[in-house]
Amino acid sequence: MLKGLLVPKSIYKLTLFVLILTTFLLMSYKLFILDYELADLIPTVGYDVEVNMQVSGHGDSMSLYTYLPVSTAHQTISDERNAPDVFTTQITVDGLNRLVSWKAPSVSGSHIVRYSYFVQAEHVVYDIDRNISISDNLPDYLQVYLGEDEGIQVNDPLIEQTITELFGNTVPDTYEALYTIHHYLQDEFQNRNFSGYTDALTALKLKEASCNGKSRLFVALARKLGLPARLVGGLILNQGSKKTSHQWVEVYVRGHWIPFDTINNYFAEIPKNYLRLYYDDKVLFKHTTNINFQYMFHITKKLVPRKEMGEAMYASPLNAYNLYKIFESIGISQNLLKIILMIPIGALVIVIFRNVIGLETFGTFLPALIASAARDTGLMWGLIGFMGIILLSALIRKFLDYLQLLHSPKMAIMLTVVVIAMLLTTTIAVQTSYLALAHISLFPIAILAITAERFAIIQEEIGFRKAMRISFFTMIVIAAAYAVMSSLFMQSLFIAFPELLFFLIVLNLWLGKWVGMRLSEFIRFRKLIFKGRA
Amino acid sequence: MSRLQRWYADFRANMQNAHKVLGMNRRNLNYIYPSNERKYFEYANNKLLTKSVLTADGLRVPETYLTISFFYELGELEEKLHQHSSFVIKPASGSGGNGIIVVSDFGEEGWVSVSGKPLALADIKKHIADIIFGVYSFGLHDTAIIEERILQHPFISILSPQGLADIRVITYKGHNVKAMLRIATIASDGRANLHQGGVGVAIDLVEGRTYAAQMSGENITSHPDTGASLLDVQLPEWEQLMALSEEASRVIPLGYLGIDIALSESGPVILEVNARPGIEIQNISGEGLRAGLQKIDHRMGS
Repeated sequence: MLKGLLVPKSIYKLTLFVLILTTFLLMSYKLFILDYELADLIPTVGYDVEVNMQVSGHGDSMSLYTYLPVSTAHQTISDERNAPDVFTTQITVDGLNRLVSWKAPSVSGSHIVRYSYFVQAEHVVYDIDRNISISDNLPDYLQVYLGEDEGIQVNDPLIEQTITELFGNTVPDTYEALYTIHHYLQDEFQNRNFSGYTDALTALKLKEASCNGKSRLFVALARKLGLPARLVGGLILNQGSKKTSHQWVEVYVRGHWIPFDTINNYFAEIPKNYLRLYYDDKVLFKHTTNINFQYMFHITKKLVPRKEMGEAMYASPLNAYNLYKIFESIGISQNLLKIILMIPIGALVIVIFRNVIGLETFGTFLPALIASAARDTGLMWGLIGFMGIILLSALIRKFLDYLQLLHSPKMAIMLTVVVIAMLLTTTIAVQTSYLALAHISLFPIAILAITAERFAIIQEEIGFRKAMRISFFTMIVIAAAYAVMSSLFMQSLFIAFPELLFFLIVLNLWLGKWVGMRLSEFIRFRKLIFKGRA
Repeated sequence: MSRLQRWYADFRANMQNAHKVLGMNRRNLNYIYPSNERKYFEYANNKLLTKSVLTADGLRVPETYLTISFFYELGELEEKLHQHSSFVIKPASGSGGNGIIVVSDFGEEGWVSVSGKPLALADIKKHIADIIFGVYSFGLHDTAIIEERILQHPFISILSPQGLADIRVITYKGHNVKAMLRIATIASDGRANLHQGGVGVAIDLVEGRTYAAQMSGENITSHPDTGASLLDVQLPEWEQLMALSEEASRVIPLGYLGIDIALSESGPVILEVNARPGIEIQNISGEGLRAGLQKIDHRMGS
């Protein structure tokens, strides 16, 4: 007996020691050798962008076109989702742009196409060297950015005259040229909040314009001086819904396209809420005529862990970010990875609730799975969805019991009912634009069906109150797991230091040997405990 | 003594009281896992195995009339059942008393359950099919046992007229640790189950006298349905009962057990053994389990 106890005990301690040491060493290596910055664990802002296009047709064929953003040094696009309704989607590369089309041979009635993606962008400021002369030795492919375009009348005498007014007869260097043009447009032109088309000359004549007029004039002036310049179209990301897109300018300087915006005064600078959708002078939405077309951008601000941290670091195999690139290469986004990484934490929360606090829950890890599914539905809808499905299935089970069926077919019917309920909920949620609720179909279906069965059995054998009590406790644990699992600090911490999973094992090993009284047992045995001195 | 000092002294005393109570974590880690090897769980979980081991040692269990593991066996059911006027159907691997039907009589209308409900052959077959399908045993294939219905000792019948009462004895390493009597009530629907409104009665292990009773967490002194006093009652055949449970705990290769024994007209009968006995018995007896368990460990020198 003694021998039997001693050996596992020392192996237990050895396991603890090895796991703690591994965690410690890996973390130290990252902090001191790989230079991980703890400050980078503070989350950053990202945006969920949804383009919502509403069309109605009368049986004719229909096509819609728009541009989708591309990941660049400034912006990272991820988690793209397409809800094409009745349309067939095709994404093509159109020069530098990504053009998406939705086509259908015959469309009648009202339809909604949704396309959404997640944007994480950086505030980028460029430092233009003074005294770079304007190069006249440019590669061929840049020539198109010097010539005249529709609405960008580079060769008009009025443009030449403006150049002379601005610079006299001297030839400015690159910085001076850009600085002067920028401030000329920024300071001497009125900003107009007008969504129509303005060409460069009109803007020049009126000394006022909206973003597209000012941008065309900027491009025309830059090109006149021999600086390759182009228009950029995009979106200013702010929480809420909007139709207005934005245009600004990029100028080619020594291998870099430098951004300028003379509406909001960004000189060689692009803020983190600018989303670049397309280059050149394009129209953002195109569609077949004779249809009713309306669009809207829905933008939701979100805090997310910093992504770029560590990307520029050593190509060490221990660098977590290199690891995630491997996952990304097979289509597992960082978002999904976060969900997976947080499940062990949810499990730890549940262990604490069960073994230390002593709350009875349905299923051991059901609450963690519901909590991670609730990331998409939000906590409130997650809980409502959970309770709704459990109660509905328990009701169905009562009915099936009345029919007197054998066990396995009965369970299969309950599973089917759960699936139907989820499909219905999702459909109704999409129809009524409760998009968060639509994600209820991410719930672990089979586990829910089993939970519903357990609910029904407990309700039958011990009573409805007991079953409701366990449901209530389950909801408390779901909420607690959700709070911890959706903590951005936790997410950032585990993304940077996935070796902390070993430490979670250590905590569970310790809890696995903990023989203390559960909190609930102090209540259960209160008559034995709180009687004071005997 | 200042108030704070008194409060602290009370706090210390309460913590010491808490230390005498066996919690779930400690029950599992210090008693069930080391004493009950998983490979021997079958001896408790499978009632057929339990019965065969106990019978082999000459210990009394309800006589098995018939076992049914497959559907084709249902064909001859009617004929075989007619040899008995009363019997009990239970799942071999059920727990918590679920899935048990007690048939008390065969009248003009057919079989009648102990609660007076008529049972058609189809009902009985459906129930047996459910058992085989694993409705009462986590969806695993199971065997239905049809066995002798225990007729309660008349003395116990006075205490528990609503149904079969049983005596739960906690045993550790072959010794009795604590015992309670579980009585069926109208509220518990004739089942001696504490969670469903049955009454738990604390019994002095040595004397076999009752000294406390509880129903749904409240102390009571008399039977809620009949008004019969439940306190200071001397149970009959206590010595035989204690000997039986100790003998059973030595035959079954599980160190920490809850043994359920019924007192029949002809002496104690073992109904089933439980490898994970609950800890509610501490509330019934008003005393923690730990002291008793530690005494046995101490005596055995480990």
